[in-house]
Amino acid sequence: MSVGFQAVQWNRDKIVYDGVLFAGVALYIGAFMIIGSWTAPPKNAAEWIDLRIRALGTCAFLMLSLILSIGPLARIDRRFLPLLYNRRHFGVTLFFVAALHALSMLQWFYVQDALPNLVTELTDWPAYGKFIGFPFKTLGIAALLILLLLASTSHDYWLNFLTPPVWKALHMAVYVAYGLVVLHVALGVVQDDRHPAIPLMLGIAFATVTLLHLVAGRRERAMDRGVDADGEGWLAVGPPLSIPNKAARSVATPGGERIAVYRDDEKIGALTNVCAHQNGPIGEGRIIDGLVTCPWHGYQYRLEDGCAPPPFTEKLATYRVRIKDGVVEVDPRPLPPGTPATITLPSDKA
Amino acid sequence: MMRPHRAAHRALWPALALAIGLGFVMALFLRPPAPLEAPRTAQENPR
Repeated sequence: MSVGFQAVQWNRDKIVYDGVLFAGVALYIGAFMIIGSWTAPPKNAAEWIDLRIRALGTCAFLMLSLILSIGPLARIDRRFLPLLYNRRHFGVTLFFVAALHALSMLQWFYVQDALPNLVTELTDWPAYGKFIGFPFKTLGIAALLILLLLASTSHDYWLNFLTPPVWKALHMAVYVAYGLVVLHVALGVVQDDRHPAIPLMLGIAFATVTLLHLVAGRRERAMDRGVDADGEGWLAVGPPLSIPNKAARSVATPGGERIAVYRDDEKIGALTNVCAHQNGPIGEGRIIDGLVTCPWHGYQYRLEDGCAPPPFTEKLATYRVRIKDGVVEVDPRPLPPGTPATITLPSDKA
Repeated sequence: MMRPHRAAHRALWPALALAIGLGFVMALFLRPPAPLEAPRTAQENPR
């Protein structure tokens, strides 16, 4: 794997994903502007800009809520995995929508020749000691800066340069951004606008995202408890046919990383559960075209030795497997990445 | 995801939900009562 820059590699799925994404954003903002101007016609330029601020702001908030729901949804139900495939473009698009929201706010002050009011508001230091009356725009600016950092490091160059664990840890800052955005809305427009739709949207979206993360975390915790090893240190996986064909069962030692034990017809092999690309859960993938395929972004590896097919160079650690008393067992001590370690089932068991 | 990353998720979300949820509820209940007079103009009520 190299840290050299490579342009985004487009394929049909990415183009369709982005097409649906851009169409959805344009449709939402357009519908918001049309309905908003129809129900309460703006009387001047500032009111038009105010309507645009609301359209972009609600769009950015809903996009961020959706982005944060994709991860847990994909862990709870595989049918949501396609949403995860190009989530980074979703995130970068979100940044641009949020940036347009902020620029519209600047324009709102500018057309009224009131930019000094904005400076006064942001530098009203005593207000930072209050809860109601806190300069809520500061919260939005802080969230926007986090989104800028994440959008500018979203490319695989940064993923490779920082390494997946560091990159994933950095991108967890999106949760902080979400918290800041919720408070930005709660201490901002919710204080001025009495329409119940805004707190309802905010509360339902935040509760849904939180619930999904808590449910997914609970499921992950159960799996991370792991299974006890036998006297020789091997872990029981189950009878060969309990491993779905062309798919895997994951096992872990208590406190250890997970191992994906795959069955490909009569062949059984074990790989680390951690994809070399973005640490995706290899064990939740499938065998496609004879290769173990990560469910997140489609990185592929040979089951035999954990190597990506040429010209790719990624390698995963493999594990020894055996069948003892009719049960597949795996040795949790990893072999060097690229070491062949599959076994073949007797024909009557395949 | 690796184990430390999953553990961080599990630790972070309950804390985030509690802190932000509490902030949201407080912001809702502590907001000043709606003014009875006509809404102010944009100039009088800078964003």
